[in-house]
Amino acid sequence: MIVIRCPYCDELRHEEELEYGGEADIVRPAPPESISDEEWASYLYMRTNTKGHHHEQWCCRAGCSQWFKVVRDTVSHEIHQIMRLDGTLARPEEA
Amino acid sequence: MAVQETGYRLDGGCLIDSHKPLQFHFNGKPMHGFEGDTLASALLANGVGLLGRSFKYHRPRGIYGAGLEDPNAMVAVRDAYGYEPALRAGQVRLAEGLDAHTVTGWPSVDFDVGAVAQLGMRFMKAGFYCKTFMWPTWGLYEPFIRKPTGFGGAESVKPRRSEQRHDACDVLIIGGGAAGIAVACGLMGGGLKVILADEQPRLGGALMRERVTINGRPGAEWATRQQAAFEAADEIDVLTDTIVTGAYEGNFFTLLQSDHHAGGPGQPGGLRSERLWKLHARYVVLATGSLDRPLVFQDNDRPGVMLSSAVGRFVGEYGVAPGRTVGIFTNNDGGHLTALSLIQAGLNVSAIIDTRRAPESPTVEATAAAGIRLFAGSEVVGTSGYKGLRSIDVAPISGGSAKRIDCSVLALSGGRTPLIHLATHRGVKPVFNPQSGEFVCPDVPSGWHVVGDAGGFSSFAQAMNDGLEVSAAIRTTTGVGPSSWNVPKLSALESAPSAAFWKSNAGNPARMWVDLQNDVTVADIELAVCEGYVSVEHLKRYTTLGMGTDQGRTSNINGLAILAGLTGREIGAVGTTTFRPPYTAVRMGAIAHIRQNQLYRPRRLMPAHEAHIAGGAVFEDFGWQRPDWYRANAADRETAVAAEMVAVRNAVGLFDGSPLGKIEVTGPDAAAFLDRFYVSNIMTLKPGRIRYSVMLKENGVIFDDGVLACIDEGYYLAGPSSGNAETVAAWFERWRQTEWPALEVGIAPVTSNWASVAIAGPRARALLAKLNPDVDLSSMAFPHMSYRECRLGDVAARISRVSFTGELQYEISVPARYGLDLINQLKGEGEALGIKMVGMEAWLRLRLEKGYLHVGSDTNGRTTPGDIGMGGIVERKSADFIGKRSLSLAFGGSDEREELVGLHAGQGRLAPGGRIMAPNAISAPCVTEGYVTSACYSPSMAKDIGLALIERGRSRIGETVRIYDGGGVVEAEICCPEFYDPDNERLRA
Repeated sequence: MIVIRCPYCDELRHEEELEYGGEADIVRPAPPESISDEEWASYLYMRTNTKGHHHEQWCCRAGCSQWFKVVRDTVSHEIHQIMRLDGTLARPEEA
Repeated sequence: MAVQETGYRLDGGCLIDSHKPLQFHFNGKPMHGFEGDTLASALLANGVGLLGRSFKYHRPRGIYGAGLEDPNAMVAVRDAYGYEPALRAGQVRLAEGLDAHTVTGWPSVDFDVGAVAQLGMRFMKAGFYCKTFMWPTWGLYEPFIRKPTGFGGAESVKPRRSEQRHDACDVLIIGGGAAGIAVACGLMGGGLKVILADEQPRLGGALMRERVTINGRPGAEWATRQQAAFEAADEIDVLTDTIVTGAYEGNFFTLLQSDHHAGGPGQPGGLRSERLWKLHARYVVLATGSLDRPLVFQDNDRPGVMLSSAVGRFVGEYGVAPGRTVGIFTNNDGGHLTALSLIQAGLNVSAIIDTRRAPESPTVEATAAAGIRLFAGSEVVGTSGYKGLRSIDVAPISGGSAKRIDCSVLALSGGRTPLIHLATHRGVKPVFNPQSGEFVCPDVPSGWHVVGDAGGFSSFAQAMNDGLEVSAAIRTTTGVGPSSWNVPKLSALESAPSAAFWKSNAGNPARMWVDLQNDVTVADIELAVCEGYVSVEHLKRYTTLGMGTDQGRTSNINGLAILAGLTGREIGAVGTTTFRPPYTAVRMGAIAHIRQNQLYRPRRLMPAHEAHIAGGAVFEDFGWQRPDWYRANAADRETAVAAEMVAVRNAVGLFDGSPLGKIEVTGPDAAAFLDRFYVSNIMTLKPGRIRYSVMLKENGVIFDDGVLACIDEGYYLAGPSSGNAETVAAWFERWRQTEWPALEVGIAPVTSNWASVAIAGPRARALLAKLNPDVDLSSMAFPHMSYRECRLGDVAARISRVSFTGELQYEISVPARYGLDLINQLKGEGEALGIKMVGMEAWLRLRLEKGYLHVGSDTNGRTTPGDIGMGGIVERKSADFIGKRSLSLAFGGSDEREELVGLHAGQGRLAPGGRIMAPNAISAPCVTEGYVTSACYSPSMAKDIGLALIERGRSRIGETVRIYDGGGVVEAEICCPEFYDPDNERLRA
């Protein structure tokens, strides 16, 4: 069970109250028509599939509905960092 | 030959209350025990030694352990609150009126016909079944082989009461023995919220049965005093009868707490309810202790052979002697300690067989002083007694003649196995310590501490010092300041280290049981190794070692040590199998809790639910409880659906569309924002107007369709499909937050705030007029695809003139609390106009006649706007929108795409799912070129019609195709999907 404190509403949430949004910082190419098919396909489908520290998006689905960023260890599920969308760090979790 | 002896009751036993006798039945025979007994202790006290038959060979088996670890004593139990088909006798708390039965052996456990299997023992080796029953297939034999296996029969009974609780604490202490109590003592007064969980009804663990004094008084007394102190303190929650069943990421745990009610004369009891905890802890202390390991030798499975710790528990905790004469077989001082307890309780210990050549310790001296015969450097090489142990044969390990010793119980102590399962649930790999012969977990997850025996054998004093240190460390990190508590003065006999001994080398390996429940012997492991199954995981699956309901608690370590010996590896290199949650079986009912039957998931009712009940609605769950059809319209579904369709085509129908999505999008950038979602141009949508469009996922595939109304400048009402109402709102919100935070736009999902009722049919305008809306209803003033706000009496209403049916149609939305009134009023006013309530089925068939698509039915995970004929709209929109770029990837322009077209059959019946056969195909199987997505009989067309996704469909209008469906083939003609009123005269009326 992954437990994350939402950086917006400051509530501790279990994974069943959260929504996972996949890898964070995937930049939508702009304007899309100016790039090649390969670049667009890479934006659509290519992900880092990191073993270790993974930057990803989560949503406080059962709470305040805000999206935020998390650095999670994909092996241990340990949460290393929680960020608001503007990049500011949330207060580090005790324990 | 010695007379077989049986168990009996002693004085004492710190867990039972001898003033509260309980009556129970075992295999139909009345017996009695005391409150605090387990079924196992009560059965032993009643002289029951034989409790089951083994899995493969139907060998007689007796109680082997005192709790969860017991591989043998499986029983089916009925109590006042329910029935359980497969429990271990040691985990069943005795209650008044309990009715227990053995679950193995036929016709009875005492006389088991299957025992003839023993004669064939040498044939039923590891892999016997898969080697023997190969021709023609295993599937032919499986049902016959499965039949006689398993424990007990399932039965449909009222589920036990259960509840679930979510909680969080600062410190979770797992195990309330000496170490766990010390941690709690050290944490007291710090203000941290502590939960101390223990499987037993009382704290104390080994203190309750072993010879230890604390401050000059028995250890059990001290433990009881501490428990009382914890229970009086606010900051410590003591959860007894509670098993921590799983450890998960983020220091999240599941705990199962049992509420037992012993009952009394005339008042049957049992397991009254269970509570499943879902607990988050900042710090975790693993104080689970350890379990006795058995020793492996010839004929070690006879009833009467049991773990030394179990014998100690039966005598010390329950005041039950498992037999009159006890032999002890040990490789460490634990066996000697048990012997001392037994002597003290007045039992006869006939001998201690110690594998160590010259054991030396105060404990060993004490057994010598008590006059117990010691066979040092010796082992048990055989036993006798079929349904109960009579004697053992003892011989020096170095070889020599065997000596027969009488005993009815043989207590086995092969060293300790730390209970580290919960740490391994978190993916921790156990490490073997060759000195102590134990698997331990030196690396634990963050926030975890291990104390006492769980971290490797420790004395009581060490365990409590561990506990104090850990509590001090937690106090330091949490900044609550030091504690003044100190470890009390303990006195216990000191112990010497054990000597590794896994199995006897004398005797027949085929008669040396490693896993008693699954009948796995040393010979089976030898065979598996010969056949190349040298990985511990392969060994487990090939021989079924440790795969029983006891999860191999008594067999795993011996099994892998024997495997290590056979393959010439270190035990540490062999490793252990993986332990996964749950630690012990958890009832499905406790997990499901109230999510069963009617409460399986919440039912969503529409605001006017009562009106549908009054109309005899037959409901279906579409996320909301929606009427499929109405009994008021006809007694059977087909007739009712036809009547409902006729009403819409010729008069007026009323359809409750409240679940239809409603999302208000507001702000200066609302239009620009929405324009990035829909494939149509939204910027040109004028106030009061409505546009139909679809939206795509970024990969170009249609995700939802619906209408969008412009209420005013910067104020829009999006109407996604009912099933996607929440998804689309979340989709909007995600893009707003993560991609376009600069856009000034607000998103408000208001689906449930409004009741929406559609009235459709040539008389819809007449009906609406009867409600006196303060708006001009003429087609000039209020044309198709437009939106008006008005008042219906005192109620503010929103009216959209859109059509799903092909008829003149209004969708009237009023605040949800007026929904029922609105429908009742429409029904009343519409009576003279021939109004009928219309269910989902008729509604969907009406739209099919019109050729409108239903996203999810008529589109799939590949369908693009071009495939449904919206290519032109996409072409004309110059601005970017989600998914647009993907449409110009190669797949979008492929000429093999499946396009949505209509189908009409002459005589044949069309059904969704029918496959369009390739033109040259004669019969199935064959290549297919698409499938029927929707189909029904159309009263308006007087034939079956359908929609289908067919390769290059739009260029094949007029072509006759053959459709394979459910074994038959029908012919149908491809056509434009607009079957009914293709010129849209009716909906514009």
